[in-house]
Amino acid sequence: MVNDITVSKPKGLSVINQINSNNANVFVGKLGDVLYKAVGTPLGMALNWGRLWSLWPVHIETACCSVEFGAASGPRYDVERFGIIEAFGSLRQCDLVVVQGTITRKMAPRLRLVYDQMPEPKYVIAMGACAITGGLYFDSYNVLPGIDGILPVDVYVPGCPPRPETLIQGCMLLQEKIKRMKAR
Amino acid sequence: MSAKLPPGLQLEKVDDRIMTLNVGPQHPGSGHMRIIIKVDGDYIVHTDPDPGYVHRGEEKMAEYRNYITNIPHLERPVIHDSCNILYPYCLGIEELLGLEVPERAKYLRVIAAELNRCVYIQYWLAIYGIFLGHSTMFMWPTGDRELLIDLLEKMTGARVTHAYFVPGGIRNDVPPNFEDVCLRQVNYFEKRIKEYADVFYDNPILISRTRDTGVLSREDAIKLGTTGSVLRASGVDFDIRKKEPYDVYDELDFQSPTLKEGDSYARSKIPWLDMFESCRIIRDALKKMPKSGSVRVKLKPKPKGGDTEIYRRVESGRGALGMYIVSKGKPQPYRLKISVPSFRNLIAMPHLLTGEKLGNMPAVYWSLNYWPVEADR
Repeated sequence: MVNDITVSKPKGLSVINQINSNNANVFVGKLGDVLYKAVGTPLGMALNWGRLWSLWPVHIETACCSVEFGAASGPRYDVERFGIIEAFGSLRQCDLVVVQGTITRKMAPRLRLVYDQMPEPKYVIAMGACAITGGLYFDSYNVLPGIDGILPVDVYVPGCPPRPETLIQGCMLLQEKIKRMKAR
Repeated sequence: MSAKLPPGLQLEKVDDRIMTLNVGPQHPGSGHMRIIIKVDGDYIVHTDPDPGYVHRGEEKMAEYRNYITNIPHLERPVIHDSCNILYPYCLGIEELLGLEVPERAKYLRVIAAELNRCVYIQYWLAIYGIFLGHSTMFMWPTGDRELLIDLLEKMTGARVTHAYFVPGGIRNDVPPNFEDVCLRQVNYFEKRIKEYADVFYDNPILISRTRDTGVLSREDAIKLGTTGSVLRASGVDFDIRKKEPYDVYDELDFQSPTLKEGDSYARSKIPWLDMFESCRIIRDALKKMPKSGSVRVKLKPKPKGGDTEIYRRVESGRGALGMYIVSKGKPQPYRLKISVPSFRNLIAMPHLLTGEKLGNMPAVYWSLNYWPVEADR
């Protein structure tokens, strides 16, 4: 990044033409640092506080754990108490992917596509043994051995399938994690 | 200018009228599958279901596990109907090994299978409700379902993945006060599902959305090879529990509900009527069940079968579910083919959706009693 700028030697207003998503940080970086030191920590805490009570999972079902995910949205377990609404249709408004079970070779590119289309910040929960390591299907020819290879996972929820209580605990762990995270 | 194409290939004509839509796998009106739909205005002109997103190779995996270690992964295709998917497998292995199941185990199996059928139908009904935008119908069945899950948890020790049926009986006997608790819960459950008529089945909005949409005639239902609720909603009285009774179904008092209309409304009503029959079966089985006795035949560690082929089928929550087992005298099956009802009902989907309005798509699609994970195996 820095090498590019020194080679092209921008002068005057033509600098603006050189600014793109890659090197914009170099110019506004210092100002950003100052701003962040002044209001970053309290602002980030406020941002994170807002985010952790409104986690919206995207509606993508990948395997049989979706049954327990459905039960967790039901009246007995009711994840809405923790600000997590039941699976939501539009991925542009979502910030959580709950990977509900086995990822096959056909589903993996679609899951990654869904993740890429979601706006930042976004979090991932790997639900079930299959999403963590492949589980029962570790030796199947069509199943990925866990989703670590395609998505950055925040919380692992073990079980085959995990009980709704376990999923809720996983969500609460994620909230705890967001609370301590540096604001993005 | 267009590039010269090799002979035999031609560019697809772009038509301004026809639009292609991908319904799924990330779509509020689809599960773990995709339907490629072409619409002309508001009408569907072409439907192409694209299953296989959860193909996990169950049949291949069964070939390198022995008959007992096959049990857990074989129930994963439908974890909320896990007793019914293990039923034909256990019946087949019992025939292969020549096992005689104790009388009490037969009754307990029937009770577990019928409880599980209700659990399956309740989940299906909840999703049907949310597909039609009826949130109350998501909450009520999901809540009432937990009652039966509690019962099954008492019986088997697990919430949804029971692994309760084993070749030669069931895994454990039920706890001492199970009969009373089961009777009480089932009676309450029956009272609850009667109320669904007021909120869902007699609801004019539901009737206007599902009546006369996706009509499947009796002839087409037979010709396309549909099973279960789809077949019975079209006026064909075909229930494996009646036609080829297994275990103790021939001694129990029940009917299989049939409707003549063949539209989405009839298809959504048949499973609901099925739940009343399931309650009847459970009450009858509790009455006729021997009060004590063994529940399981002891097996050798790695049982081997002879050189035979066995096909057994049962009536699951979705229809006839068969298992075809080829044995070559080894502890593992040589080939295991699962014949699933979901895939049979999927075949009717292009037939029903083509010519419908796009808005009717969820109502027709989920009324087919189709669970994508099972169809993909």
